[in-house]
Amino acid sequence: MTELVSIPGHWDFDYTYFAGEAASRFFAELRNTRVMGATCPDCRRVLVPARSFCDACFQRTTDWVEVGPEGTLETFTIITAAFPGLPEPPIVMAYVTLDGADTALVNLVLALDLSDIGAAAAALQRQPRVRVQYVPEPQGRITDFAFVLA
Amino acid sequence: MSEPVAVLGVGQTTYVRRHPESSAADLIWAAAEEALADAGLGIDAVDVIIAGVAPDALAGENCVEKTAIFGTGKPFLRVNTGGVTGSSTAFAGASYVASGRARAALVVSLERMGQASTSQRVFNTIFDPVYEKDFPLTTITMAALRASMLMRVYGYRERDWAEIAARNYRHALRNPLAHLHLDVTPEDVLDSPLLAWPIHRLEACPMSEGACAMVLGHADLAVGRNVAWIQGMASTSDSYAMGDRIRRPEGSLVDLLSLQRSAVRAYADAGVTDPRKEFGVVELYSPFSSAEAMTYPALGFCAPLDGPRFIQEQQEDTSLPVFNPSGGPQAANPVSATAMVRIAECALQVRGLAGERQVAGVRRAVATGQGGATQFSTVCVLGTQRP
Repeated sequence: MTELVSIPGHWDFDYTYFAGEAASRFFAELRNTRVMGATCPDCRRVLVPARSFCDACFQRTTDWVEVGPEGTLETFTIITAAFPGLPEPPIVMAYVTLDGADTALVNLVLALDLSDIGAAAAALQRQPRVRVQYVPEPQGRITDFAFVLA
Repeated sequence: MSEPVAVLGVGQTTYVRRHPESSAADLIWAAAEEALADAGLGIDAVDVIIAGVAPDALAGENCVEKTAIFGTGKPFLRVNTGGVTGSSTAFAGASYVASGRARAALVVSLERMGQASTSQRVFNTIFDPVYEKDFPLTTITMAALRASMLMRVYGYRERDWAEIAARNYRHALRNPLAHLHLDVTPEDVLDSPLLAWPIHRLEACPMSEGACAMVLGHADLAVGRNVAWIQGMASTSDSYAMGDRIRRPEGSLVDLLSLQRSAVRAYADAGVTDPRKEFGVVELYSPFSSAEAMTYPALGFCAPLDGPRFIQEQQEDTSLPVFNPSGGPQAANPVSATAMVRIAECALQVRGLAGERQVAGVRRAVATGQGGATQFSTVCVLGTQRP
């Protein structure tokens, strides 16, 4: 039987992702410690993070409004297996609806007691109130903030 | 007016972690050759070839299907709708036949992720680079976000996910094509490592590669042959942003509105009014056992709040359809092909060709598909009766 050949390969490309005007404005406001949503004139939802159009209605968004700084933790997971390029587990990731928003956004939840995963999960299932906490040196990126219990 | 579409032939490779003996073209060839032989047709009878391949980064090669464009001069296109690629590809082929643009379509899905060293890092790239990709969003963590919400909203417990998983693996023991042949109990599943609460490793799909092909054709080509008929097919999209679906009044993130809407339309086309009684077999696109729970109410098997009870009913009520007789995506998840495999397995069941995993007397079956961050859902109803 022929010995099977395997050829090693590697993708190692750099990219520059263009955030666009709406997201760029959202990130600029984050540096001012403001989380912004954009309103759809048709369905009247406040879409967070802010974006140029409402996909459901096929409509450009109009008014920008500040949301938060507190909100409700909607759903979460506690990551226990290591993920390359991120802090050591356990890490909590959650979707949060900030006060005044109609949509939720995702981020990490910090400063939780994770010594007992089951107990931590039970506490998070009660949909605690959380608030936005900004990093000391904002870069104008979604990682400029995380959530902590309010 | 729409021509009825028959599934004339099915071909599948085995689904394994790696097929080092096969090039991409070899895998496509194997599935296509088997499907054409099953249909009693040569490549010349095929009017269009549609390939389904999801993210190229899983294969590490762009357009991995390119080395297997069969037959000279036929129209060829590739479909990519993430996890639902396989059924989108099948529906595209069926549309060619239904519209009269083709008498026979060869549809083939190839998953080549055996060439990948990591899938979760690749899956992180399916998320929005502007607002989401910096977070540990992967297919596993996305499923976990849903599973924890299902527990909060509909009262599912960790044990429910383990029971579903154990049932899928048990069925896969009778499917020689499946990747995983595990004889495990729900306790074994709960004992497997926790990946992202509440999902344990044995509740998540394996990395599988392989190919699945079908020949879809006009009724004239079905004369005197053992075929399955596509009685209803529907695909529905939703907003990509999971956060937009959390508090949505019509249906939250775990209510799978797009699947429900697809089911309503496919059932209407097929004349299905009582899914609990009319299907002999259900093949669900659910790479995570917890994801199955979202499909039960969407497909009309139970009310949303009765989901946990329905898991028990499946074990007790023999008049219900058999769920995932193939073992489902938990036992084999060749991502690009998985949604087509569900349709192919239903076709085999309807035709009585499912071998050791055959369920007795299947007159009607339903296959689902989910793609992306479940912004795509498909439902395909197959049966013995020509529409």
